[in-house]
Amino acid sequence: MKKTLTVIVVLALMLTVLAGCGGSKGQKGVDTPIKIGVLVADVSGEEALGFRAYYENYIAKNYNVTFTYTEQLADAAAEKSAIEKFAAQGYDAILSFSSSDRATQLDTCAKNKLYYAVASGMLDDAQYEQYKQNEYFVGQIGPSMVGEYEAGLAMGEYYAKAGVKTVGIYGAFIPNPMHVYRAAGLIVGLGLTYGGASDMDAVVGQIFGDQGVDVSKIAGGVQVVGYLQGFGDTTFDELFAIVGQTPDAFLSVGMATTFFADALNGAGIQYADIDSFTSGNATNMSEGKLTYLAGKYSSSVGPIFAAVVNAVNGNLIRDDEGNALSLNQSYMVATDSDTFNEIFNGDKGDSPIYNKEVLDTVIGKDVTYSDFAALVASH
Amino acid sequence: MKNTAVKKIAGTLAIPVLFAAVLLILCAAGGKSMIGNRISLNYFVLYAAVVMITTMALSINLNSGRFDFSLGAMAVLASVLSSKLTYAVLGGGTGSALAMLALNIVFGALLGLFSGALYVTLRIPPIITSLGVTLILEGVTFSVTGGKYVMDEVRNASMTAFAGNWYWPLLIIVAVLALMVYLFDHTRFGYNYKALMSGQNVSVNTGIREVPNAVVCYVICGALMGIVGFLNVARSSNINGGSLNFGSISIMFTAFLPMFIGGYIGRFSNDKLGYLMAAICMSMLNSTFAAFSNEVSASTQSIINAVLLVLFLIYLNNEGLLKKILSPRK
Amino acid sequence: MEKTKSENPDVRKYKLRQTLIDILPLAALAVLFAAFCGIVAGKGYRLDMYLNIIFNEGVVLAVVATGAIFIYSLGSFDISLGASTLFSATLGVMAYNATGSLPVMLLVIFGVAVGCSLLSSVLASVFHIPVFVTTVAMMSVLSAIASQIISVNGGALGGISIPAEVVAPFEPPVVKIVFLAVFCAACFFIFDFTKVGRRQKFLGGNPVCAKLTGISLNKYAIIAFVIAGVGVGLGAFLTLVYTPSVTASTAGSIGMNILVAIVFGGMPISGGPRSRIYSALIGGFSYILLNNILKLIIDSNTGYGISQIVSAVFFLAVVYVTGLNYRTRNLPR
Repeated sequence: MKKTLTVIVVLALMLTVLAGCGGSKGQKGVDTPIKIGVLVADVSGEEALGFRAYYENYIAKNYNVTFTYTEQLADAAAEKSAIEKFAAQGYDAILSFSSSDRATQLDTCAKNKLYYAVASGMLDDAQYEQYKQNEYFVGQIGPSMVGEYEAGLAMGEYYAKAGVKTVGIYGAFIPNPMHVYRAAGLIVGLGLTYGGASDMDAVVGQIFGDQGVDVSKIAGGVQVVGYLQGFGDTTFDELFAIVGQTPDAFLSVGMATTFFADALNGAGIQYADIDSFTSGNATNMSEGKLTYLAGKYSSSVGPIFAAVVNAVNGNLIRDDEGNALSLNQSYMVATDSDTFNEIFNGDKGDSPIYNKEVLDTVIGKDVTYSDFAALVASH
Repeated sequence: MKNTAVKKIAGTLAIPVLFAAVLLILCAAGGKSMIGNRISLNYFVLYAAVVMITTMALSINLNSGRFDFSLGAMAVLASVLSSKLTYAVLGGGTGSALAMLALNIVFGALLGLFSGALYVTLRIPPIITSLGVTLILEGVTFSVTGGKYVMDEVRNASMTAFAGNWYWPLLIIVAVLALMVYLFDHTRFGYNYKALMSGQNVSVNTGIREVPNAVVCYVICGALMGIVGFLNVARSSNINGGSLNFGSISIMFTAFLPMFIGGYIGRFSNDKLGYLMAAICMSMLNSTFAAFSNEVSASTQSIINAVLLVLFLIYLNNEGLLKKILSPRK
Repeated sequence: MEKTKSENPDVRKYKLRQTLIDILPLAALAVLFAAFCGIVAGKGYRLDMYLNIIFNEGVVLAVVATGAIFIYSLGSFDISLGASTLFSATLGVMAYNATGSLPVMLLVIFGVAVGCSLLSSVLASVFHIPVFVTTVAMMSVLSAIASQIISVNGGALGGISIPAEVVAPFEPPVVKIVFLAVFCAACFFIFDFTKVGRRQKFLGGNPVCAKLTGISLNKYAIIAFVIAGVGVGLGAFLTLVYTPSVTASTAGSIGMNILVAIVFGGMPISGGPRSRIYSALIGGFSYILLNNILKLIIDSNTGYGISQIVSAVFFLAVVYVTGLNYRTRNLPR
């Protein structure tokens, strides 16, 4: 009897859930602050923390806006649930740094009438085609996959030009797509072929298939003495197997400055990374062996915020064909301390590159797609 | 007498020698070197120390039927607290590594005491207590670090010198092994522990005080995991402060295979020595995986480790049957 | 002579306390539910949407954990259920993308889920390996294979998916409630009204005695794992219904949350006669409600750490109270 009663009570609670569905959403007044929910998959990385500091410490002080960050979102279900919670709390828009399932994120935003913008990474081409005219898709401003490839390519070309003969490569978290594209660019930039191919699509496709970089498929003038990826029990053994061969350079497509800076500085091997402009990396470049850093600066997420503000205020930025914003943002590169410090100091605290004065040029009812394109291209 | 000694030595060394032979042949066939240089040797010894001490920490409570999910969380939190305190006082200067190691042991022991005290006070099954403790310790770690990596506090010349010399981790291995053998094989605490392990009711009825014995076990586990936390920091030069929702428990799973192998070897000599031998096997396997990292992906390594675990357990649990099948019929 | 509870019982007081303890998990769920509604309404958020979210967050956990009760009631332990859910969903998506057929996808999901469960139980039963260690190994293998499949086939998207329209008909809450209710009712019936359930509780409570009366542990372990497999299959399907895509981290937290949910729902981890089939349902939703309440109250980045601490303390408190009548002289193991 007690068991049956328990089951009935639980089912009654479930039915209450069902009955509760169907209320109405209140209208948001135009004078209230803009509330933006931010989806994040990384809460620890230097780059992610830099973006967050810019939004919370600079933008939130200069605009009537509230940013609410999620916890670390592990999967698509967590992303969807977070968006639904923001909708239930009456938020206006979602800025997404999380990419488990962009399509579901966008569908969920559209269903809940929330504006959606991609703040880091980009939709793949097919997805952009599918959603580019969605009335809730604000757009995407950041390095595209081609941009990621080009970042790796530029790094490879820099060291090939410098005359390196032997390199070690860190593929970071391949098969993370961003890292796959960077690694493909790096290999091609060094003047090498992968499985006989040297064009982006062919190399990228093979790396996805191989689940990593297969050194035996690399051919060309620069010798890859070792390759490693991921971070686990064998990582440092693999790293030191490479260090032991004293390559001319250790080239990483991400996170090496977090994991290996100490070891590489100590071993006296020059290294390169695609990471962010932080004080730690300033020291690595001035006192350590970091000789090349490609990175985004913290305020690079300023323009997409401006686009969201416009959308919430009724000016959804569209190109001539009615498509959502899609602008590629290049990485900034420093190969010496002066350049590094110029970028690093030029984008700090109260004086970011995308400061209020700059952002105000693209916030307003008359701002167009070309204004955004011009602004992003000029920085 | 002589035969028994030979049998003991042979039994103790058989598995490590077999591991070494197979892995060296594999490396030779693939044109690789398992331990190619001094740096590889440093990390080989360091990893062996991590595995041996984790396995000891896991086995102390598990052998007594107390499952503890919180080992990984203890190691991480002890490291976070000690690294921050050490950095605040020494600023990364001389003696930082030693100070951090000492503090790791102290904080680890205190966290173990917390876990053990909670267990004996609440008197709920240890596996459940450990679920709660894991969540609490992870939560504290996240709150202290803000979910960020701890890096500046653990990157200094002192830590680099520790990680760069194989004899430091070897010294730790020897010290821990000696201390554990002494504590568990030559003290009243150890005798009581073994009695409680094999017969809880009888032991308690004969007057052995179970509560203090259990608490001391947790304190020892905590101190050991403090050392593991320190060794892991020496290996990776950072601490991930962002693990929540049981993200820290995976450290425990790596200790299962060496625990069973060590237990088997222990039949011929001493279980603690067995854990050392098993840790050497695991470190050899790890170094071989590293040498073949381009051919064997991380996923494949996981699968190989799991299959080895299952195969060894199949052998271990069907040993009698296998001997019966394989022995010549009279 | 030392007085013990059994020698000197206050039967009425004991029974009253037992009744209170028995209803505590349900009372905790009701209190948490009321608190949650109050907080959401007090903050001016939309309760209807929040309830829907809570239901979606809890339904997969509740389904998988309900199936897992059969394993836990035997005193066994399976930590690989999250990985099985990921693996089944992964192969289900692959099957749909290869055939375009929903029935085939369903068949693969349930077949794989039951197959994985059977493999664990057969390994444990036939080769006499401790069940927990078998499931640790299965967890590693299944998640490694699923990750490999996802990364090879997911390409630049980082995950694999099926068209949202395929599962759209199953998305309304009422459909999921029906799935949940039917599965729970079937489990309730098997567990409480058939010899399978009774014998499993017997085996969990006293395996030696059960064996002496002729009950085969292997047989009932296999049945338990098969039922758990069905739960995993349903969980994998409901995961795809909520988000029609799978990444390497899909369902990653389910394995451990099952343990928490079952214990939170008032069932002893050692199984046996005090096992309750509804523990998973109550515990699963209670845990989800508690976490959401804390996230609503504690609102900052470090708050995620603090809310986990509070959640753990609450969890231990509930377990402590529900076990008050079962204290033994020796420390529990």
